Amino acid sequence: MATTTAAVTLTSDLLSDNMSVSTSTTCMKAGTTADGLDMMDMSHLEIASGTNWDLARADNALNKDKANKVYICNNSTDETYYVKITLDATVIGSLYAGDWMFIPWGAEDATADIEIIGYIGTNKISYAYFHEGKTLFEQGDTV
Amino acid sequence: MATTTALISINSTDLLSDELALTTTTTLTKVGTSTGVEYTTGLSRKKVNATAKGSTATTIYTADDFAAIPYLYLKNTNTTVGNKIFIYDDSTSGDPTWLQLDAGDWGFIPMHGDKTLRAYAPNGSDPILEFMVIGTDQ
Repeated sequence: MATTTAAVTLTSDLLSDNMSVSTSTTCMKAGTTADGLDMMDMSHLEIASGTNWDLARADNALNKDKANKVYICNNSTDETYYVKITLDATVIGSLYAGDWMFIPWGAEDATADIEIIGYIGTNKISYAYFHEGKTLFEQGDTV
Repeated sequence: MATTTALISINSTDLLSDELALTTTTTLTKVGTSTGVEYTTGLSRKKVNATAKGSTATTIYTADDFAAIPYLYLKNTNTTVGNKIFIYDDSTSGDPTWLQLDAGDWGFIPMHGDKTLRAYAPNGSDPILEFMVIGTDQ
């Protein structure tokens, strides 16, 4: 069993006292505390302005209602560059340069793909998807 | 100017043949600038009673309450596997589900901010959701 932990710490001085919120989760397969997620996709992508791509596909077979975890980070340095992240054709987030997101994704139905759209320039994106399995594209070569 | 940071660390020593150690920090700023955000709802804690989408579901964010981009943090504090909290978009036709937070799961999203988000817990376990929005109030 693989053990993968995801932790977050939010700190700020915007209140009259310092704020610090921290939490951590161990990424387990759905319905168990004994078996960790053991598959991962990881990519570094360049998303040009005006282009739209699938990042993760809801395939209704292997990842529906499973314990999918998705991490996306915009590593661009120009603060005006951004990408929109959509789920089920709805914008759920906008990642400007330096921003990241981490979500437990349910992949509830065939339309619940996670897509990414680039704006302003060519955005440099890091992406990691921890999962229990996914359907691969059917191959076309015959050898 | 306030400085607010969000740090994520994803670590594993046995998922790959070599150690995975991914760490990223971002400073939360107003859109397209390096000026820090100045407002927050503070950390909230609510019991999620509803077992389905609808008017009894717990509202965690109201559309356009903050200017784009509000940062949303959520955590299901329940400790029993399967006691999930579903987060859905109440502004869009069909109420699409965004997230499934199982016990102990957390999420962090720089939102667009124009959708009302609500929460329900399908198995009726009344889990407690912690959440916070940080951004620019309007």
